Amino acid sequence: MRSLLPAVAEQLFQDIQKTYQETSQIPDDLLIALKFVFGSCALQALDLVDQRSVTCLTSPSGRKAFQVMGGSGHLYTCFLSCHYCPCPAFAYSVLRRNQDLLCKHILAVYLCQAMAATQQESVSDQQMSTLLSPTGTP
Amino acid sequence: MSSRKRKRCSKEEDVKRVFCPDADDHRGLQQNVGRETSLLSSSRSWAKCGDSFLGTPVIKNLQPSRRKLSVVRRLTQSPALVQSSAPRCNEDPVHIAWSSTDTEQSDDENQQEKRSKAVSQQQQHRWPQRRGKATAPIQSYSRALSMLTADKDNLPVIDTDSDLDESEEGAEKESEQQISDCESKSADDPKDFPVESTTDKELEITGYVSDGEDIGSTLTSSKLDSEIFPLQNGEGSKRSVSDWLKSAQAMLQTPQKPTDRQSKTPDDSAKKKRKFKSGGLAERLNRLQCRQRSAISFWRHKSISDTPAATSTTDRPGVLVLEVLDVHEECSMQLARCEHWRPPGDGDRRNKSVPGEGRRMLVLFNKETAAQLSPAPGDVIHIYPPWQSLSIEGFSSSVILNTHFSQKAYSASKPASNSLPRAWVPAKRHAPYHLAQTFGLSNECRTKCDGGAKQVAASDALCSAGGSGVLVRRCASLLEAIEGLGQAGSVEQDVDVVVQRVYSIPLADASPTSLLKHRVPLRSSLAPPAEKGKTRLCVLVQDGCGIFSVVQLQPLTCGDELHRFCQMWQGRTCVLKGVKVVQRVTRERHSRLFSLIDSLWPPTLPPKEHGNSLSVPKESGAPGQAPSFCYLLSGQQSSLEPTEGPIMSPLYLPPRNRSLRDVLQSEEKTCRCSFVATVLYKRMQLQSPDIGQGEVRLVLTDPSLQEELPERLCGQTVALCVNTSCVLTSSVLEALSSPAACQMSFRDAIQENGVLLCAEQSVIEVRSAEGGVDPLAGPLPEPQVKTLRLDSLSLETTPNSLCTLTGVIVGVDENTAYSWPACNLCGSDHLELSEETPLNFLCVSCKSVLDKPDTKVQLEVFLSSSALSNCTLKVKLQQKTILTLLNAGGGLEGDELQGYDVESVLGKEVGPIPVYVRVVARKPAFWMGLEEICLGGC
Repeated sequence: MRSLLPAVAEQLFQDIQKTYQETSQIPDDLLIALKFVFGSCALQALDLVDQRSVTCLTSPSGRKAFQVMGGSGHLYTCFLSCHYCPCPAFAYSVLRRNQDLLCKHILAVYLCQAMAATQQESVSDQQMSTLLSPTGTP
Repeated sequence: MSSRKRKRCSKEEDVKRVFCPDADDHRGLQQNVGRETSLLSSSRSWAKCGDSFLGTPVIKNLQPSRRKLSVVRRLTQSPALVQSSAPRCNEDPVHIAWSSTDTEQSDDENQQEKRSKAVSQQQQHRWPQRRGKATAPIQSYSRALSMLTADKDNLPVIDTDSDLDESEEGAEKESEQQISDCESKSADDPKDFPVESTTDKELEITGYVSDGEDIGSTLTSSKLDSEIFPLQNGEGSKRSVSDWLKSAQAMLQTPQKPTDRQSKTPDDSAKKKRKFKSGGLAERLNRLQCRQRSAISFWRHKSISDTPAATSTTDRPGVLVLEVLDVHEECSMQLARCEHWRPPGDGDRRNKSVPGEGRRMLVLFNKETAAQLSPAPGDVIHIYPPWQSLSIEGFSSSVILNTHFSQKAYSASKPASNSLPRAWVPAKRHAPYHLAQTFGLSNECRTKCDGGAKQVAASDALCSAGGSGVLVRRCASLLEAIEGLGQAGSVEQDVDVVVQRVYSIPLADASPTSLLKHRVPLRSSLAPPAEKGKTRLCVLVQDGCGIFSVVQLQPLTCGDELHRFCQMWQGRTCVLKGVKVVQRVTRERHSRLFSLIDSLWPPTLPPKEHGNSLSVPKESGAPGQAPSFCYLLSGQQSSLEPTEGPIMSPLYLPPRNRSLRDVLQSEEKTCRCSFVATVLYKRMQLQSPDIGQGEVRLVLTDPSLQEELPERLCGQTVALCVNTSCVLTSSVLEALSSPAACQMSFRDAIQENGVLLCAEQSVIEVRSAEGGVDPLAGPLPEPQVKTLRLDSLSLETTPNSLCTLTGVIVGVDENTAYSWPACNLCGSDHLELSEETPLNFLCVSCKSVLDKPDTKVQLEVFLSSSALSNCTLKVKLQQKTILTLLNAGGGLEGDELQGYDVESVLGKEVGPIPVYVRVVARKPAFWMGLEEICLGGC
């Protein structure tokens, strides 16, 4: 059987995006569905969305990356091209335990994109490369 | 009515509608109706009217869509109303089968009629034109998410509507139609409806009225409409809709509230404390999920209490009846591929027309539901509304979400599951999805919809690349495995553990057995009583991170099996699998278990860090505190499988035999200790028919205690109490029953404040005379105690100890002095006068005719001892000593004893004799009850 959960998630995001574009809001049933699929992450991610915690960084060379300000004030850098987040929950629940699809930060990125709530920020190429290099500290 | 449903169903299939909930509703209702077979014939004529009813909201579409929606919604809140109105609109003489819920509402009928009639007439005009148009959008509109209510046979209406809207009115409608909130299951019993919050108050009240009494429904709906309508445009709309939703949801859910309150978990309240941005999405979801949680716990409670009615509930609309075909696991969720069962009485006609695929559904269960439900292929599962259906591009069947209200109606594996903890078969697990498989969103969304086929193909490829293989999951940490609990508390992952200890515990007697036990005639104390109660095998395991677990395994048939399992498992690295978590136990509650764990701490190798079990053990030093909790697991013999052959694990900490002196002089207040000792004396509880059932007291010694030392801090013997929670195997019982002293090994006995105790987790084994080196106990065939030395009786002597005593008889307890004949062959005192030869006796137990039976005597005397001047010593003497005292030499015969005078024994010196100290009383006067004993073999 095909892997279903990613498809469900994708469909939900698209539904949210579509609904939001059309009505500027997200109905309760979509919220409930989010909660069902993503568990406790959903609430935390929505909180991040509410806080406008997701920033899309763009450098002149065209590179993009997302930065999510965690609840503790820590900045997590996530990517467009694949699911990755340096947070411990991602390492544990997603990578190790394979029990969650996403961590709250990546979920927040998706939700912010769907709701066009992503903050935009330009950074220099140098800043971007520092950000993306494993040793770099944002 | 039936025809209306029927028509709707067929229509639904025509358009390949993906809103399964809707389809279900019909089916649910049809079940009611379908019993009336006479109605079948009239179905065709009904069809048109039915459709027109379906179209009700279409009329409203002329007005802003919100209005339409609320009407629909309101209708859904009162199923009875809908049902009653439907026949009217058709104006058909066909007899209506009223569903049971309708009966109460007959009063309101007239009122409803008028309204619904008007509506339906309008519809009838409208519908024919729209019908053709509606189909296409429905097909294309695949991603609508719908939520279902219990009595919402109107939901299809909503869907259809919105499709129409889409074509006509554009963007506005979708959110509303999706704002189909749902928990209207409560429509039947809305009596106890508490007001939720002040802001929602008004709406809720109206909702309540409409909900509970259909009289108000018409009014209410218009009221709701009017409230929402003005807000529709601009900023206000958001709030109004959400308010409305809130109220609607509260209206539908609140009857369940009061009960939930108690069942709120600490978790809930913790979440409550969190501060979310006011008016934000998180706040809204938090509120929703609190309600949902309440509804779920209430529902579970209710579903448990009225399971017998389960079959009838399938009649209710909105209930999905699904047969599970197979179950997969994805992330922590379970995905069941199911076949949708139509309710009976639905007619085979339509079933045939539907290809198999169309009836397939994919159902997602979250971890909690899956654990409760443990869906397995062949099971029949009922899913009660509200659930949600999501159709996904590229998937032929829709996906059912939000399946919190699920119940297993039939279990394919029923016979096994109830009695025995059967080995749990884990669901197949999908490989983790590809991390590069990001979810399409944002601006490409539009284009993606166009190139749908391409996208599907791509995701197909990804899935196959992801692998359909079942992952072999094995981890090194018990905690991680337990955290990842799967169905019904099962630990899905295999865990590498070292078996630190193997022992057995008494099985709690099933009542029949324990009743029987007392009917068994008392055995002669000489015959070794067989072990009565069954015992259960237990192992104490430890993982590489230092976490312990007790695994309760299968019952043992004979106690000596334990030894075999010890040999097989103890000290080995094993894979632990197929176990369930029974309990998390803490140090506070189970101090004895933790005294054993403490004796195994610190581990021989520094424990690995948690969550990092793959890494090398951390270099730096101290292993820290012993764990303060462990898990109690249950499994069976197959749950443990040695992995590395006969090699002892480096993590194994074998019981270290210590000398008794070492043990007794230990500084620790409480500790576990192992030793080999000679059992000098044993005393069973008399009231128990079988030894091994009651407490057993032993007096032990070993060479270290017998050594002569200038200053000794402990006695030359030590008492040990064997608690009933410690299993005595048959060989131990046999050895204890024999009069000879025997050597035994005591593993993990408890030393508490200088007192020795064998209890849970302690193992007593007989040291065989051959002195075979027990690999578990280590090479310690210590020399037997050759010449036994006992302490002299002193003021410090404690009860249950052995001493020697010398003293002068100062009195005789004449009440306890008597003699009786006994069989000289078997020792039984159960003799009868022989009938044939009146002077002879017949032993009842060994059936022999006794010419001259033995005479037994009993005598208790008071002694005064020079060492204990102010102490009364009462000693029950042995026969041998009595005879010596009486100068009876060769023994007593017949009634000889009666000739002895009390005076003749007074003043005589006794001793030194070995005595067992039964009682020590210090008040009102110092007094000791002693019993002379016969020390066998020493």
